[in-house]
Amino acid sequence: MTGPIVAAHDLRKRYGSLQAVDGVSFEIAEGEVFGILGPNGAGKTTTLEMIEGMRPIDSGTAMVDGIDVTHDPRGVKARIGIQLQASSFFDELNLVELLELFGHLYERTVDAMALLADVELTEKARSQVKTLSGGQKQRFSIAAALVNDPRVLFLDEPTTGLDPQARHHLWGLVRQIRERGHTVVLTTHYMEEAEELCDRVAIMDRGLIVALDTPQRLVDELIGRGFTKARVERLANLEDVFLDMTGHDLREEG
Amino acid sequence: MRPFGIRLGMFWALFVASVRMFVRNRAAVFFSLFLPLIIMLIFGVLNFEGTTTIQLGVADEAKNQASAQLIDGLAAFDYLEPTSGARDALLNQLKKGDLDFVIAIPAGFSPQLGEDGGLVAYAASGDPAQAQVAQGLLQQAVGQALFRAAGGGNPTGGAFAAPVRFESVESRQLGYIDFLVPGILGMTVMQLGLFGVAFGFVHLKRTGALRRLFATPTSPAYFLGAQVASRLIIAFVQVVILFGIGLWFGLQMFGDYATLAAIVLLGSIIFLAIGFSIAGWAKNEDQAAPVANLISLPMMFLSGVFFPRDAMPDFLANITQFMPLTYVNEALRAVVNDGSSLTSLGPQLLGMGVWAVITFVLAVRLFKWE
Repeated sequence: MTGPIVAAHDLRKRYGSLQAVDGVSFEIAEGEVFGILGPNGAGKTTTLEMIEGMRPIDSGTAMVDGIDVTHDPRGVKARIGIQLQASSFFDELNLVELLELFGHLYERTVDAMALLADVELTEKARSQVKTLSGGQKQRFSIAAALVNDPRVLFLDEPTTGLDPQARHHLWGLVRQIRERGHTVVLTTHYMEEAEELCDRVAIMDRGLIVALDTPQRLVDELIGRGFTKARVERLANLEDVFLDMTGHDLREEG
Repeated sequence: MRPFGIRLGMFWALFVASVRMFVRNRAAVFFSLFLPLIIMLIFGVLNFEGTTTIQLGVADEAKNQASAQLIDGLAAFDYLEPTSGARDALLNQLKKGDLDFVIAIPAGFSPQLGEDGGLVAYAASGDPAQAQVAQGLLQQAVGQALFRAAGGGNPTGGAFAAPVRFESVESRQLGYIDFLVPGILGMTVMQLGLFGVAFGFVHLKRTGALRRLFATPTSPAYFLGAQVASRLIIAFVQVVILFGIGLWFGLQMFGDYATLAAIVLLGSIIFLAIGFSIAGWAKNEDQAAPVANLISLPMMFLSGVFFPRDAMPDFLANITQFMPLTYVNEALRAVVNDGSSLTSLGPQLLGMGVWAVITFVLAVRLFKWE
């Protein structure tokens, strides 16, 4: 039994008078898909960025693959892949050039075409990022986060702003990545996304984790407290109707 | 490879990316290369020369009545513009091309009718055809003045050539292109630093591309180093292109290229530091643009890029002499036009050095990644 691949202990971050993260602790096992849920401003992104070494930690510790991020942020960055919320890349370079550049930043040679094939962007290899659609951009952004074959992949709201087809496509991609043995940590405020993808979820509110368990146990626990829905769950919802009418094929101009 | 712990592959990849991004960015290429090129072509085709007066240096070593009469006589000709001074100093000016002729009046000058009294005229060898015409005009003027000085009254008849002994002096003849090209080089270096860095960098900052870069284990030093290295290389390529076109337009190079390169390097460092100050301070392009223009426009017109700063009123000349581009332009001109070496460029190098330190400190203090 190996230790956790990610361990956060009592993380705190304050911006001026706002306590954005107020003592967050959790552990993630290798191979898990871990979700951080919460309304806007709950502290999801700040928590993620402290663990990634992208933001200084006020107090508490974060360990990734046994490395303390405060002491060795670059060591952590070398072992993880990061998709930032609204990632942007150099405009004048094409996808292959960008992936090769990122490979050099990790000091490894990459097979750019293989990475692009994984995210189904082979035919866009010589295009610039600005010519991609929203879903294609998110997929490229994931390819860029995979250049170093990371131990942990961090995805910050990967499906925000995507249409249902692109979102379902991305879910398929995340499952594939998980099957290849990568640990995935993602934030989202789509509950069905968390239910679809995550082994365990942490629900954050006002800088604190208010619940942490598997989606099924969180639901069971709620029902156990005597909760009943105002309206009984239907066998299908509007999204199912939408996808039934418009199909699962990706709609991407260009 | 990691000589001295430097990750060469990483640096090289960032350098290549940086060059590619610049070359593929049409706006950046336009403002830093094509704009100076167009300006040079326009000013190179338009000819601002064609002065009709002859710049005459008069070295009066006699200082007697006869010499005074001769000088008065010469001053009476509209097409002569006499300046007096010591023979050596005047000959130096002649070599530089600031004078067309120097006449030396020897001690004990006392001309008799029909004699030259030992007058020596030095002619610049720059433009033979023009020199011949000027020589004729000068000969006529000296002849008439001599005639009067020797007590002959006003000469009758037009042509009256004096037997003046002409000596040719190896000299340079500078045209407007010789003035313009060093100024354009200075301007290019300024534009590249200010616009080639500030805008691209602010864009990367605003869109979050820089943040994405630092989600990898690279360090800011590599990125900044690659940016500076790529801009220096681009500056040199531009200088070579513009200088080459200048030579084609008849530019003369009196200095050595290593010295020129050293000045270009120092100038680039100053303007890159200003560019990074703006890029580091500004949050978006709308903040960067007015500041970059506010810095570049006054220098473009007041640092002697297109016109000599002599033409300015004194108070303006006194202020603008301290501008960084003024030092750069003066040094470039001294190298290209006068063949100066670094050792004779003390004041300019000091000025540039002070600016390099100021701008570097400014860049470090103002710089913010986000």
